Amino acid sequence: MLLKLSLWLSKMLAAARQWLKQSKNASIFILVYLGVGFLWTYLSPRALVAFLFFISSALWLYYLPLSGRFKLIVGISMMLVLIPITGVRNISYLDVIFQISVFAALASGLNIVVGFAGLLDLGYVAFYAVGAYTWAIFGSQQMYLLHSIPGTSPPTPDFFLPADAFYLFVFLAIIVAAITGILLGLPVLRLRGDYLAIVTLGFGEVIRVLANNLDKPINLTNGPQGITPIQRPTLPEPVLNVFRAIMNPIVGHNISQKEFYDLFFYLAALSVIVVVILVVRRLDDSNIGRAWIAIREDETAAIAMGIPLVRMKLAAFATGASFAGAMGVLFAASRTFVSPESFSFMQSIGVLSMVILGGLGSIPGAIVGAAVVIILNLQVLQELSLYLNQLRQSDAVIPIINFAWKNLSSQLDPAKYQRLLFGIILILMMIYRPAGLIPAERRKRELKREENDAVNDPEADTGEELGNGAA
Amino acid sequence: MRRIDVLTFLREVLRPLGQIIIFVLISSATLSLVVLLLSLILRGTPVNAMTLEKYGTDLVSYTLVNLPQVLIDGVTIGFVYATIALGYTMVYGVLEFINFAHSEIFAIGAFIGVEILIVLDGAGILKSASLGMAYVWLVLAILAGMVVAGTAAVIMERLAYRPLRGAPRLVPLISAIGVSFFLQDAIRLIESLTTGQFHRIIPTFGNFDARFSLAQMNILGNSVDLSIQSKSVIVILAAILMVVGLNYLVNATKLGKAIRSVAQDRPTASLMGINVNLIISMTFLIGGALGGAAGVLYALKFTRIDPFVGFFPGLKAFTAAVLGGIGNITGALLGGIVLGMLETFAGSYLSVFTMGAAGAEYKDILAFAILIGVLIFRPSGLLGEQVGQKA
Amino acid sequence: MALLETRNITKRFGGLQAVGKMDFTLDQGRIVSIIGPNGAGKTTFFNTLTGIYRPEEGEVLFDGHALVGLRPDQITTLGIARTFQNIRLFGAMTVLENILVGMYPRLRQTFLDILARNRKFHQEEDDAHRRAFELMTYVGLQGVENELARNLPYGQQRRIEIARALASSPKLLLLDEPTAGMNPRETDDAVRLFRRLRDELGITILLIEHSMRVVMDISERITVMDYGVKIAEGTPAEIASNPRVIEAYLGRGASELMEA
Repeated sequence: MLLKLSLWLSKMLAAARQWLKQSKNASIFILVYLGVGFLWTYLSPRALVAFLFFISSALWLYYLPLSGRFKLIVGISMMLVLIPITGVRNISYLDVIFQISVFAALASGLNIVVGFAGLLDLGYVAFYAVGAYTWAIFGSQQMYLLHSIPGTSPPTPDFFLPADAFYLFVFLAIIVAAITGILLGLPVLRLRGDYLAIVTLGFGEVIRVLANNLDKPINLTNGPQGITPIQRPTLPEPVLNVFRAIMNPIVGHNISQKEFYDLFFYLAALSVIVVVILVVRRLDDSNIGRAWIAIREDETAAIAMGIPLVRMKLAAFATGASFAGAMGVLFAASRTFVSPESFSFMQSIGVLSMVILGGLGSIPGAIVGAAVVIILNLQVLQELSLYLNQLRQSDAVIPIINFAWKNLSSQLDPAKYQRLLFGIILILMMIYRPAGLIPAERRKRELKREENDAVNDPEADTGEELGNGAA
Repeated sequence: MRRIDVLTFLREVLRPLGQIIIFVLISSATLSLVVLLLSLILRGTPVNAMTLEKYGTDLVSYTLVNLPQVLIDGVTIGFVYATIALGYTMVYGVLEFINFAHSEIFAIGAFIGVEILIVLDGAGILKSASLGMAYVWLVLAILAGMVVAGTAAVIMERLAYRPLRGAPRLVPLISAIGVSFFLQDAIRLIESLTTGQFHRIIPTFGNFDARFSLAQMNILGNSVDLSIQSKSVIVILAAILMVVGLNYLVNATKLGKAIRSVAQDRPTASLMGINVNLIISMTFLIGGALGGAAGVLYALKFTRIDPFVGFFPGLKAFTAAVLGGIGNITGALLGGIVLGMLETFAGSYLSVFTMGAAGAEYKDILAFAILIGVLIFRPSGLLGEQVGQKA
Repeated sequence: MALLETRNITKRFGGLQAVGKMDFTLDQGRIVSIIGPNGAGKTTFFNTLTGIYRPEEGEVLFDGHALVGLRPDQITTLGIARTFQNIRLFGAMTVLENILVGMYPRLRQTFLDILARNRKFHQEEDDAHRRAFELMTYVGLQGVENELARNLPYGQQRRIEIARALASSPKLLLLDEPTAGMNPRETDDAVRLFRRLRDELGITILLIEHSMRVVMDISERITVMDYGVKIAEGTPAEIASNPRVIEAYLGRGASELMEA
């Protein structure tokens, strides 16, 4: 009976796949899917399932055989119109997408180091910290407090730089983080895999301890209290007014500054992650990308092929680090506050678990991995936590063992149990699916027509062209 | 009747003891000299003035006066690190694998020991115990920690590492990281469910906190009271016992020979009739038991533990193992002592010598600095690696 | 004209001398073999030539460049390519990509070119792909370009290795036991290919080989190593009747080197 059902199911799936292979059907499917997802989320803004359904259309958009232009149009309308509208109904969704974008960029960066080049970096969060603190120090009043004791008020109410220096600093952080990546990479280049992992872990901790303690002799980081307030870029008045004019009636209330900033950072993070994905895809299908994978597969053979190991490994570190640096600036500005707590070893492992979950070396994998972990973390664990609190308020009792919920210690808060989550992900993935949810697929090249003819002609003298030597 | 070769016994017991004495003496002497020389060199600098201002004595006096206590503390913590390092080095020697979760084995041992003592304390047993019984209970707690931690290590290997044995090196390492994180929160979960607390404090009983005065010295006109806490003595003695015991086991018993052969050449060992899986499990059991014992000793010395207590000592112990030469038991011992000394010296003297710019907070990352330095300049460690032959 | 010349090359591992005082000359356009019993130091010699090991003593001159002290990737860029005794392909990459990796020293695209996807990049990638297809045809590997290298049978993997080595347009090709594990027909194909490489592409070939059939067939000159030193050098006929060579392979008392 069960056998018949599963046979029927696989037949249906195969038929569906065939149907979807046609571009016209695929476009109908995605539009309907997107429409349903959007409406459902709009009508039930608190329902997590609806939101997941809605954003999963992005995944469909990526995989279905549709024209590039179509994908672009749908993608842009989703990012710029549909999601912001659902954001109106539940503002936290914008923050979720913001977080996903930030960590997708981090995961993509780590993916280059671990997934492509095969270097297990356990201290990746250090680059994130470097980027964040770069803006935090210069975009706040900290520069005026260099010689003050932590906790004192700044001598002037001014900030060191204008708020719009933010945009410049996104680029500056890329450079600073890349340099940090190179500095980190230099001593670890010759280490073998497991030692490299531990040393990079050490570096991550060193950065955190530095952030925690560089409040003397000069107060650079303000120690464990962190730096606040950090500026956010200004929103130009005319744009604001136009936006309010259009959106206020739809939303039903005057859009506050906070909501604007939520929208702004959502858009900013999306822009960065789009650029990141573009960069990674281009690198993947290039000389450098192939060199990285060769290094990961077999260093000795790679160097025998003429690949300069040192340069390539440093390039991997620098590139991966630069993504983290850029997002660090966004992070600092969006929260207007940084402290060493956000840059712990646990964060590094969190990003690693995203990469492993998605698939080492897989570009969509890093995104999906980040999305899954963030949603599990932010939504699922939080929901569990709230639910548990509700149970605690009630008089209910755990069945079977008859233990009253309210007697459950307040220490038990699922939202804090990220280590459990990351740990389980890492263990299960390594044992059951080391290639990840979306394993990296090496691109298949289509033979072009003329080459096909030349290759199949046995009489063709291909020796001469090869003899010339030049590629 | 088993014939114990008296000569072998003596050799295998006296040799590690001798090594311990030599390591302690050499590292003490070297570091003391370094620190004294520094204080003499910096005598004419502002560093001296600041010391005078802050502590009332000049730099050289400050250095000398604190030296004996620093040495004692250094040796104590060094032995704790050495004991934890033994677990890392054994597993690495046999499998060429860093058991990242060893730090949590250490934590499990600590929690078992502490919880048992808390239960005993709750029943009033500890308060009414005589001095002799107090020691008995302590030993019981240590043994319990060893048993549970060792078992946990064996289970860990069976579930999370054995399925990955043929995989490329990074795969089991990532799994180990996963296990480490999982266990940290698992401990936290269990503690939250049963006791509702994050920190746990070892009950006071027996005379463990008592200070024994070793000597009254007069250094440069300052009266220095050299003392050591009874618990530090216990830690040192227990650690010495474990190091000697492990050394004997590995070098003078049949099991030890089997372990060494599996470490050197696994396929051949299995061809010789050795049950490789069993030996590997035994390695984890022994290493885990040692880590668990180290956990209880740590709890005894530092009194307060929490679910994340394993992280830093674990990493430092790993550094110690690498520093001494990974896979090498003597190396773990040497590395532990050296690291413990370096860390204690840094903790006491760093802020003085840098005029407060870098304080004791940096001593935690001292271990990382040492690790990086060792791996770059002398990756085989001070005494050389002892791992299997590469295929 | 000597393309490769080594003088007094010595490589020690601890107390063991793996290669001792190796003087060796290789003229351009020749196919030369190095033979010797197992453990004679042949692969170690190769590794010294390609920079994987640094010799304790001696010099290596290639095409006017001194090689000792250079990194392996630098040596490859100068024009020496090699295959490995146990095939070392990049298993997770396709056949095509393996060959493209081999082209690394000849590709000029910079980081910025890649990011910008400019015309230079597209042109170079198209040329590279085209050349890779040609190389595949040349070694007899049609139709498998998108297969993962690790999924292919042994014989084809050997060919991929050769194609990959050819990709960097080398002047000198070092082949380490290229016919190991091949049946007689595959071996003949391989020998034919090596000849074509020399005749059509002008590549100088240095082989380590165990198969006497191949060695006698293809070599213009043979160098014999034993215990790390050169014990004989000459034409195939000279080597076949050299008593020291026979002794090295078959022990004292044997007087005949079996004919292939």
